[in-house]
Amino acid sequence: MTELLSREEFRTALEKAMEGRQAKDASFSRAWAEGKLQRHHFARWAENHYHYVGPFADYLALIYARTPDDCTDAKDFLLQNMYEEEIADVRHTDLLIRFAEACGSSAERVMDPRNMTPMTRGLQSWCYAVAYREHFAVATAALVVGLESQVPSIYRKQYPVLIDPDVYGFTEEEAEFFDLHITSDEVHGERGYQIVLDHANTPELQQRCLEVVRDGADMRFAYTKALYDTYVKPDLGEWVEEPAAA
Amino acid sequence: MPIIRFKTSGRVVELPDGGDAVNLLRVSIRHECGIPWRCASGNCGTDRVRVVEGAENFDKPRRRERERLGDLLDAGFRLACQSYVDGDCTVEWDPDQVGLDVDSKAYERLRRIWLSKEDSA
Repeated sequence: MTELLSREEFRTALEKAMEGRQAKDASFSRAWAEGKLQRHHFARWAENHYHYVGPFADYLALIYARTPDDCTDAKDFLLQNMYEEEIADVRHTDLLIRFAEACGSSAERVMDPRNMTPMTRGLQSWCYAVAYREHFAVATAALVVGLESQVPSIYRKQYPVLIDPDVYGFTEEEAEFFDLHITSDEVHGERGYQIVLDHANTPELQQRCLEVVRDGADMRFAYTKALYDTYVKPDLGEWVEEPAAA
Repeated sequence: MPIIRFKTSGRVVELPDGGDAVNLLRVSIRHECGIPWRCASGNCGTDRVRVVEGAENFDKPRRRERERLGDLLDAGFRLACQSYVDGDCTVEWDPDQVGLDVDSKAYERLRRIWLSKEDSA
């Protein structure tokens, strides 16, 4: 039978569970960071991404409702995360739509669920299912550690090229969605780790957390890869890794 | 090995050599170093710190931080949530400090919503 991991062992195991599966390494992310995408590719990305992140407060609300009322730290974290997604400043999905419009899309196209790929629909459905069905610490591991905590590492590579006039040339205002998430999801991710470390307090819960973190990372990787295969491959062909410079 | 010194709480965190730059507020939360914070989005300013040493090891302030701190940037302050650090530094803060956003548009909008006559339950 698996032993209860110490706090440090469990954290390390959670971090290792994502290795080799991170969305920053998927073809769409690599092409983005290397300056190879065009604005219409970003438009399709935004039209998909909306349906994954748009309901994020819904996912968190489902977890919140199932978190015992004596777990105040976890409930407060979830509530604060929801508040920041929706009304603390600019609604995060409004920033996404602003970026989509700069890419030639529209609010109507972004919000139309018919514009998402089957893989995006799968990712959204998985998020709802985990939030609805799993223990609150497991659901937090899946959605906050497995998915949200990856965001800073993805956008720290993708944001500088977005606003580089010699690469994609967006303005800071057009690309604010990314700048905001580089920093806010650092803290969301860290607080998520704390909730999981504090409340996954049996070997079974710890192992389940590790499973869903692996699943979440796999889901986000597959979602990102599907964007390349669907929208970019017809223009740029199969993604080929360039050899490292000697 | 880069070292971050949190002067106000007396905490010291050593970072591994050769790693990526780290978010200052994330380090503070992870290692319980005590920087006060609220929004983590560069809006409230609760997590402002004065950089005592090592300002050159911080990344350049971006738009949100410039807008929130204004002249405080020139006085050596940074927002922990917006700051990435890749070398030795020492920071301090007022443990009782509160946000800088009591007169912000977001606060005004929320006051308008929450204190409206229609929402008097």
